[in-house]
Amino acid sequence: MRPTHRREPLWLLLPMLLTLGVFFVYPLLSALQQSFYEWDLLTPARFVGLANYRAILASGELFASLGTTLLVSVVVVVGSLTLGLALALAVHRPGRIAALARSAVFSAYVVSWVSVGLLFLWIFDADAGVVNRLLSLVGVGPVKWLTSTSVAPFTVALIVIWKVTGYAMVVFLSGLSGLPPEMQEAAALDGAGPLSRLRHVTLPLLRPTAAFVAITSLIASFQLFDVVRLLTQGGPVRSTTVLVYAIYEQLFRDLRVGRASALVVVFFVVLSALTWLKLRVFRAQEPV
Amino acid sequence: MDRRALLLSLAALSGGLAGCAESEAPPGRVVVPFWFTYGGRNRATLETLVARFNHAQSDVWVRAIFQGDYFEGLAKLRTALAAGAAPPLSHVVGEVVPYLASTGVLEPLDDYPGARTLPLHPALGQAGSFRGGAERPLVVMPFNRSTPIAYVNQRLLQGQPPPDTWQALHDVARALTKPGRFGFGCPIDWWYWAALVGQAGGEVVEADGRVSLGGQAGVAALKWWQDLIATGAMKQPAGRDYNAWEQLSQDFLAGRVAMIWSSTAFVRYLEETADFPVQALPLPHGVRGSVPTGGTHFVLLKSAASELKQAAWRFVSFLLSADSAAFWSSETGYLPVTTEAAQRLEASGFYAKHPNHRVALDQLSVAEPWPWSKSLFRIQREVVQPRLEAAVLERRDPVRALDEARAAAAESQL
Repeated sequence: MRPTHRREPLWLLLPMLLTLGVFFVYPLLSALQQSFYEWDLLTPARFVGLANYRAILASGELFASLGTTLLVSVVVVVGSLTLGLALALAVHRPGRIAALARSAVFSAYVVSWVSVGLLFLWIFDADAGVVNRLLSLVGVGPVKWLTSTSVAPFTVALIVIWKVTGYAMVVFLSGLSGLPPEMQEAAALDGAGPLSRLRHVTLPLLRPTAAFVAITSLIASFQLFDVVRLLTQGGPVRSTTVLVYAIYEQLFRDLRVGRASALVVVFFVVLSALTWLKLRVFRAQEPV
Repeated sequence: MDRRALLLSLAALSGGLAGCAESEAPPGRVVVPFWFTYGGRNRATLETLVARFNHAQSDVWVRAIFQGDYFEGLAKLRTALAAGAAPPLSHVVGEVVPYLASTGVLEPLDDYPGARTLPLHPALGQAGSFRGGAERPLVVMPFNRSTPIAYVNQRLLQGQPPPDTWQALHDVARALTKPGRFGFGCPIDWWYWAALVGQAGGEVVEADGRVSLGGQAGVAALKWWQDLIATGAMKQPAGRDYNAWEQLSQDFLAGRVAMIWSSTAFVRYLEETADFPVQALPLPHGVRGSVPTGGTHFVLLKSAASELKQAAWRFVSFLLSADSAAFWSSETGYLPVTTEAAQRLEASGFYAKHPNHRVALDQLSVAEPWPWSKSLFRIQREVVQPRLEAAVLERRDPVRALDEARAAAAESQL
């Protein structure tokens, strides 16, 4: 189909361009500008050059929150990949029970983050929580799920895994359905057992799917906020202060628009790098 | 339709109309949006007062809008101020008042009818809540004001004298601790730390404006908490800010903690929810008695239209009338902010019947004013609060923690 007028495609693109411009490009450029100013929202802004970047570096806030985010992300990626794949392999079969299991696992993905936060606040309470009650029956614990600096980041990661694994499973299922059955049959004829077929045929063919799942869950865990806000408020002692939560604290708790903007700029750079990585992986895997 | 069904449907209809009346302003009224941050029982009490005001006169209609907890509400208010969309009336924590006043967003109240002659309790108005508060233009009116107090499960304390010193509290806490129960619980929070600093004989900000964080008193306060946790007598609540307070209330109500420090604002809630008798006690003395005041002050925002501010002031005056202030105090546990309201509660026999409500009022004799420092809220939120948590939870050297905090305070000065 050819446009009747050269400008026609532009008109069609306009609504999306406007949305992107108003809600993404403009705020981002504005944050870039604000990152060079000191502003508390109420008094006039003051140009401070790179002082905000120096401050987030010198206070250790940038690397601490990036480190926490990375820690949570790595656990989430490894966990959701492994579990998602295992579940997909388990339910990739016809029948009502498998269909029920698929829906049940995926249902966690559609629950709102706020509900998830409240639910796990109850589940992981150190004294009255279900998990510690069950653990006490077998003589373990109590585990300080949310009140220990060394455990809390993993608790948060665990909750994210619970939530996103359903999505990983569905993606793996679609990957599994796309695999040519002839290869499995050929391997079986050659005498390969189920484990051997999984290892040498299925898993290598699922590599692009795994890369997609890994990168999407990495990006999702970089955007983590709601659960942290509800469950730990970044604590105990900043142990769960992920990057987005640090931005929230700087802006809404401390009224430091400049420092929050500097963190936003860094966050944008990190996410852009991840997105670039994602695109590279997929371009490399495009069918020849 | 039989008579019963007719009555039922009429009742339903009138209920529906009353529901509409609460949210929709009748025509011809000045509508005053009022951003508030009270939850639970306190919210219901406020809404009762708003409804009373709206029905008691026919010029002004207050539309009360819930905005989360104090700090969430404050964040929204500041954002709204920056966006030029602030309401005419809201209420803010004391620590942020000097800063907000310095930015010029608060309406001076001196010329509003009766503002300077209201019979406010000397410790609770601007003059008594802040050092030098009397000499500055009047910008706040107290309403829900509080002090920290101790709550104890009376059944468990029986036979023991109420602890009135730090050492006595530690001993009682240890005696009340047993498997599955802590003797004492306290949010690791700036407010309680400020109380301890005062009790240890220090000031958070010195009279000359220097941020000393109490010097040795600040260290003693931190160390007292560390010792209590080290002996296993004190529970460290989960969560931060008001999540930690709420968590501790739940622990107390469930019998997992025998004695807690919390705000007097929860007297009524704890008394009514607990399945054991609750006894309120004043905080113990260190080298002296000392408590900070807390809660919030009402403010008018300068950016609002004059007509709205005048209308909002009428509502504030209504809240500070003896009737409303006494009702608010007796229903919640917050202090009666005017001497008239306190006298009314005394004369009606309320305090004789509810001695727990009196504890904070009597404790006002040792209430300390906050410094009028525009950096105070940053010292609170950025400098002290996170370091208290780190020092107590990670057993950090309190001297070093406060040295770092003082250095950070110097960097945070506005």
